[in-house]
Amino acid sequence: MGSAHSVPAEMRELADRTGFTSEQIEHLHRRFKQLSQDQLTIRKENFDSIPDLEFNPIRGKIVHAFFDKRNLRQESDGLAEEINFEDFLTIMSYFRPIEMNMDEEQLDRFRKEKLKFLFHMYDSDHDGKITLQEYRNVVEELLSGNPHLEKESARSIADGAMMEAASICVGQMGPDQVYEGITFEDFLKMWQGIDIETKMHVRFLNVDTIAHCY
Amino acid sequence: MEENREGHGLAEGKILSVWIFLFVAFVLLPSIFRVSLGICHCYVKIVIKMLEWATLQIEEGVKKQKAMALENLISTGIIQRDETPMEKEVVGRCRGCFSLADVMYFSKKGCEAVAEDEVTRRFSSEELLSWNLLSRTNANLHHVSWKLAAVWVTGILIRYCLLLPFRVKGWLSNQVQMICATLGVRCLSGLVHFHNRENKPQKGGICVANHTSPLDVLILASDGCYSLVGQVHGGLMGLIQKSCMRTSQHVLFERSEMKDRHLVRKKLREHIADKAKLPILIFPEGTCINNTSVMMFKKGSFEVGGTIHPVAIKYDPRFGDAFWNSTKHSIMTYGFNVLTSWAIVCNVWYLPPMVKEEEEDAVHFADRVKAVIAARAGMSVLPWDGGLKRKKIKESFKEEQQKKYCQIVIENGSVGSGNVC
Repeated sequence: MGSAHSVPAEMRELADRTGFTSEQIEHLHRRFKQLSQDQLTIRKENFDSIPDLEFNPIRGKIVHAFFDKRNLRQESDGLAEEINFEDFLTIMSYFRPIEMNMDEEQLDRFRKEKLKFLFHMYDSDHDGKITLQEYRNVVEELLSGNPHLEKESARSIADGAMMEAASICVGQMGPDQVYEGITFEDFLKMWQGIDIETKMHVRFLNVDTIAHCY
Repeated sequence: MEENREGHGLAEGKILSVWIFLFVAFVLLPSIFRVSLGICHCYVKIVIKMLEWATLQIEEGVKKQKAMALENLISTGIIQRDETPMEKEVVGRCRGCFSLADVMYFSKKGCEAVAEDEVTRRFSSEELLSWNLLSRTNANLHHVSWKLAAVWVTGILIRYCLLLPFRVKGWLSNQVQMICATLGVRCLSGLVHFHNRENKPQKGGICVANHTSPLDVLILASDGCYSLVGQVHGGLMGLIQKSCMRTSQHVLFERSEMKDRHLVRKKLREHIADKAKLPILIFPEGTCINNTSVMMFKKGSFEVGGTIHPVAIKYDPRFGDAFWNSTKHSIMTYGFNVLTSWAIVCNVWYLPPMVKEEEEDAVHFADRVKAVIAARAGMSVLPWDGGLKRKKIKESFKEEQQKKYCQIVIENGSVGSGNVC
């Protein structure tokens, strides 16, 4: 495309902060405008216009995640009413693939960020712990479409999962001990061994690579 | 003062008569006798040369080393989707378990959908990697060089002052449908290549084509007479419709009436049963698509029986975007855009006739025809319904996905293992 000589300063700042290239940011900006219908901000209703998203069983949680202030790296808590392009990019950056030139520390931070994003998806009341009820909610949502499945089965799956988590995190519990909930540290422990960095990413294309292929 | 005015009047009168003479000689007469003077061909060649030069200018200005051939002008989207099917990802370590990784899989899919989805991509105009000097198609209008700017300005002058009035004058109403259509195509500097004319639709058949714009009708009508089935439009489009459709052989519906499928089918059956009537032209997608893919064909026209003559229409995006986004532009804006493009260049392929087989159901037959059309025109095939441009997806599709996931997790009713893997 006939692109500009100089990249504007805000663009460069965005690129530095989120790790996208300027072309990717341009593409995402166009997508943002499409979703927001040329407004400056997106609201929850705008996500209704994505047919592909309708398929997703945890659609509600995903849309929620976009407006979650914890994901937006804001100090306050709760849900935002609307997000601007910068916030949109921040959320999308959680799904960036790892880069070749990342060192140990960067990789670790990257991994923690992705896991925190997932943790926030489970922890819907924002108290820093995934309780049994919240876990049950997630399982139910994932399995909700099946009419043959009774609520009990979903609950038993969730309960079993929680018990397993407790045994990983706390070890043997006495009969009177109550497992309060999965904290973020426990969550990290559970994910040890699963390489989330290579699985939890969306491959954003670079325009340069497309053109060079011919 | 008086003399001056008279002088002006005379000069204007002369110019007018010269215009009319030129118009009759170069546009009207050849259209009546369906002869091509090759003017369009020359014009298109000139436009191509200019676009190539303009591209070179842009590249020099930007100082990039890429040699982008003009052929590769279609962008492929911003993400590369992960095509791993749900089964493979979710199964992971052990079948029949509920794994935390499943949430990760679905959140990844969700992010992909937000970044881009196949359906809405078909409803935005095709992006060009090079700029075809129409400011509409370039998202960043940057000043690259003085030369380029000069060419662009001249281009505007030519298009708006020379070609536009010429074309507007050209749009007079005409009694004979084919002359009118040919005239229309010529006036839009339309260069249409018809292929395989031996497969042209016969009387009593149904002609089926992919839909990109109202111009599709014009283009097909310039090469043969058809009966049209279409939606009744209001406003300016409705007036045009009424004036162009004087003959009684056309079948028009309201979109709301389309819901009464029996009525539609009855009328269609009556029409094709009468072998003397013109072939019916139907666009089974039901709405305009942006010409990069073929969407779901509605099965109505395939249930009626009779011979189907598929036709593939592919526009060349370099010369102007023929796609009509009816949710974004009104017919006036669209018409204006078309009139001020360089040209409309397209290829029309007449494909061999197809008939529904004994055991086939209408949906399968429709898919078969769709695949043939898409293959010929070099477009991708999508199972999506074009109606998604306007309405939301059905609940049943969402439930399908959830059911599939449930089956994997539950695994033959052995619930309760619930291990975290």
